[in-house]
Amino acid sequence: MFVTASILHADLDSFYASVEQRDDPQLRNRPMIVGRGIVLAASYEAKAFGIRTAMGTKAALRLCPHALVVPARMAAYSEASRAVFEIFRDTSPLVEPVSIDEAFIDVGGLARIVGPAPQIAATLRQRVSTGVGLPITVGVASTKHCAKVASQAGKPDGLLVIPEGGELDFLWPLPVNKLWGVGKKTTTKLGLMGIATIGELATADPERLRTTLGNAHTGHLQALANNRDPRHVDTDRRRKSIGSQRSFPAGGLTGEDAWVITIELVDSISGTMRAKEIMGRTLTMNLRDNNFTTFSRSTTMAEATWSSAALGRAAKKLFQENWPFINSGGCTKLGLSVSNLTAPNNVQQAFNFDPGRAPEVDAAIDAIKEKFGHAAIGRTAKTSRAGTHWH
Amino acid sequence: MKFRCERDALTEALSVAGRAVGSSSGSLGLSGIQATLTGDRLELTGSDLDLTISAQIQVSGQSDGRIVIPAKLAESIVKSLPPGAVSCSAEDDELLISSGRSEFSIRLISANEFPTLAEADDQFIELPADALVDAFRQVVTAASGDDSRPVLTGVYASNEDGGLRLVATDSYRLAMRDIPGAAEVLGSASSALIPSRALSELNRLLKRGDSVRMHMGESEARFEVPGARLSTRLLEGTFPNYRGLIPDHHPNVLTIERTALLEALKRVSLLAKDNTPVRLQMSADGLQLAAIAQDVGSAQEIVEGTYDGTDLTIAFNPQFLREGLEVAPGDHITLNTIDELKPALLRSPVAEDFLYLLMPVRVS
Repeated sequence: MFVTASILHADLDSFYASVEQRDDPQLRNRPMIVGRGIVLAASYEAKAFGIRTAMGTKAALRLCPHALVVPARMAAYSEASRAVFEIFRDTSPLVEPVSIDEAFIDVGGLARIVGPAPQIAATLRQRVSTGVGLPITVGVASTKHCAKVASQAGKPDGLLVIPEGGELDFLWPLPVNKLWGVGKKTTTKLGLMGIATIGELATADPERLRTTLGNAHTGHLQALANNRDPRHVDTDRRRKSIGSQRSFPAGGLTGEDAWVITIELVDSISGTMRAKEIMGRTLTMNLRDNNFTTFSRSTTMAEATWSSAALGRAAKKLFQENWPFINSGGCTKLGLSVSNLTAPNNVQQAFNFDPGRAPEVDAAIDAIKEKFGHAAIGRTAKTSRAGTHWH
Repeated sequence: MKFRCERDALTEALSVAGRAVGSSSGSLGLSGIQATLTGDRLELTGSDLDLTISAQIQVSGQSDGRIVIPAKLAESIVKSLPPGAVSCSAEDDELLISSGRSEFSIRLISANEFPTLAEADDQFIELPADALVDAFRQVVTAASGDDSRPVLTGVYASNEDGGLRLVATDSYRLAMRDIPGAAEVLGSASSALIPSRALSELNRLLKRGDSVRMHMGESEARFEVPGARLSTRLLEGTFPNYRGLIPDHHPNVLTIERTALLEALKRVSLLAKDNTPVRLQMSADGLQLAAIAQDVGSAQEIVEGTYDGTDLTIAFNPQFLREGLEVAPGDHITLNTIDELKPALLRSPVAEDFLYLLMPVRVS
C-alpha cells in the first residue's frame, strides 16, 4: 500500500503555562509554574531548570527558587482549547481529539485542494499562533504513532515532517522511551536486555523480548518500532457513557433524599444528552458503601432515549431494586450513568403513554434553563423536598 | 384406556392441544397432554396455566380412562407413523402406540401432575367466526411480545357504543378494530384485556362459516369452536389511554394501492436490515420509497399514488409498516401524516372500522 505522510499530530506546548504567559505579560520569558500543590504545567523557561509536570510545587521551587507560581484557571484553558480545536476542524474534517491540548488530524484527502501536508501543518501553526496566541508543535508522518513521536521531538514551537520512507531513519536512533506506550518500567526492562534505542528494539529477537514483555506487548511495540501502525484518525471516538454522581459522608443519606438526588441526576444527565444530541439505552446505578466498596446495577430500555421521563422510569426501577441498601444509611455514593449511546438517528419513536412529562416539556425546560440558569426550574419533589414519587 | 383412530386425526388433535404446552415450564405435568376417553369421544388438553387448549376427536373407544402423555414425544411418534389406523392402550404407567408393524411403549406422566382445570357450565354468547377472524388478525399483529410490559401483550376489548372494540399496541404502533353490535361478548364487564397469544391461537382454530361460543369471566375467557375449546387467563392492569394517541387531524394524505405499496416495500426492505428504516418521500409527484444501508447499499422505488399536502419525508421500521399494510382491508389505503416525528395513520377508505397508527423512526 502506498502511504503518504499526511497525518498530523498537533500538540500545544506547555499548554496551561502558555495560556498564562499569553494573558499576563509579566509571566513571559521567565520560569513559571501553574499549580500551587503540584506542577500542572511549567513554562519552557522553568523546564530548563529540571521542573517537570506532576512534581510537587515545593520540590520545583527548590530547583528554581525564583520561579513564579500561579493557580490554574480551567475556564481559560477550556476556552483556549475550544478555539484551537475550531482551527483543527477548519483545517480538516478528520480530527481525533486525544486530550484538551492535542489531536490527530488527517489531511490526506486535502493534498489536491489545499496543498501537501507540510504546508497545511505550517499554516495550522501560524493560525494557532496569530489567532489564539499559543505556541503549538506539529509532527507530520505516515502513521499516527510516528507523527506523535515527531511532534514530541519537534518541541517547542516546532514543525517536524518525517517524509515517507524516512520513518525508520528518524525513529531508530531515538531512545526507546520516545516510543508511544513505553514508560519507565519498560525502559528499565529493555535496558537490562541491552536495548536502548528504538532501532535496537525493532531488530531484537522477538522470542527474547516475549520472555520479559509478554506476547501482546512485544508484538505491539515491535510493530510501532518498525512504523507499522494501521490505526486511522478516528473522528468517531465518542464518549462511552454520560453520567453524574454525588458522594455523602457515611450515614448521611436517607432514602427520601436519595430519591430527590436520583431525580436531580436524571435531570442533569438527560439535559446533557439532549444538549449533546446523544441518546442511550442502558442506565446504570453506581453505589458505594461505608467500606468504599462500589457496585452497580443496570437496566436496558427497549429503545434509545434522552427523555427524562423514560430515564426517570428506568432510574425508579433501579432505585426500588436497591432500596434496602439505599435506605440502610450506609450509602456513601449514588451515581447514574447512561451507556449504549447512539446518535439520534434511526431511533424508533414510541407513543407517550406515560404520565411522565412529554419530550416537548423536556425541550421547554431545557430552554428555560439555558436562559435563566439551572436553578430557575426543577421538579416538585426537588423544590418541596417532600415528594418521593416521580412527577 | 384403549382406543383406535386414524393417524391424521390424532396428529392434528395432538398438535392443537400441544400449542398450549409451555416450552420450558417447570412442572412435569405441564409438559404433558391430558387424554380423556369417554365412549367414542377423546379429548386432548394442553395447558401452561395461562392458556389451555383442548381438541376433541371421534375414535373407536374400547375402555374409558384418563392419562397424561409427554406432549412432544407423543406428537413426534404419531406424526411419523405410516398413514392409517393407530391403536393406543394404556396399562399401568405405560402407553402402547401401535400401527402396522411399528410399536412404541412410552412412559406416562402421573395424572396427578396435570393441573385441575375447571369445568365450564357458563353462559355463552355465539358469534359467527367470519366476524372475528379478520378482526383478531388485524389487532394481534400490533400487540407486544415483550413480557416486561405485560399490559401491552394483551388485546384490549371494550364496549364502544354497543360494538366490540379491539385495540392492541406495542408502543410503536397501534391497531384498532370495531365489530358493530358485538359488545354483548363482554358480558357484564365493560372491558377485558385478553392475551394476544390466546387470540392468535384461537384464530388458528377458527374456520369461516363456523360459529364461536364465547364467555368472558372475571379472570378468564373461554372460547368454543367445533372440535376444540380454548380458555385463557385475562391480563390485569390498565391499558394505556389509546384515544389520546390518535391525532384528530392530519394535514397530509397519501392515497395509494395497497398491494403495490406492499410489494415495493418488500423489495426496498431487502436493503433495510437491522435498524435501517425505510424512507417515504411524499410530494405532489407521488411516493418514492428509499432504504440506505451504510455498508450495504441502497434501494429506491417510485410507487404511483396521489398525495395531498406539503412535501414530507418520513421513515418507518419496514416490518411495522408492512404488517399494517398486510392487515389493512381493501384495495387502497390512505397514509395520513402530520410531520416526520408524529404518528402516521394508516386507514382504508372503504372500512371505517379499522385503523393502524404508526410511530416513525427518527432519521437525520
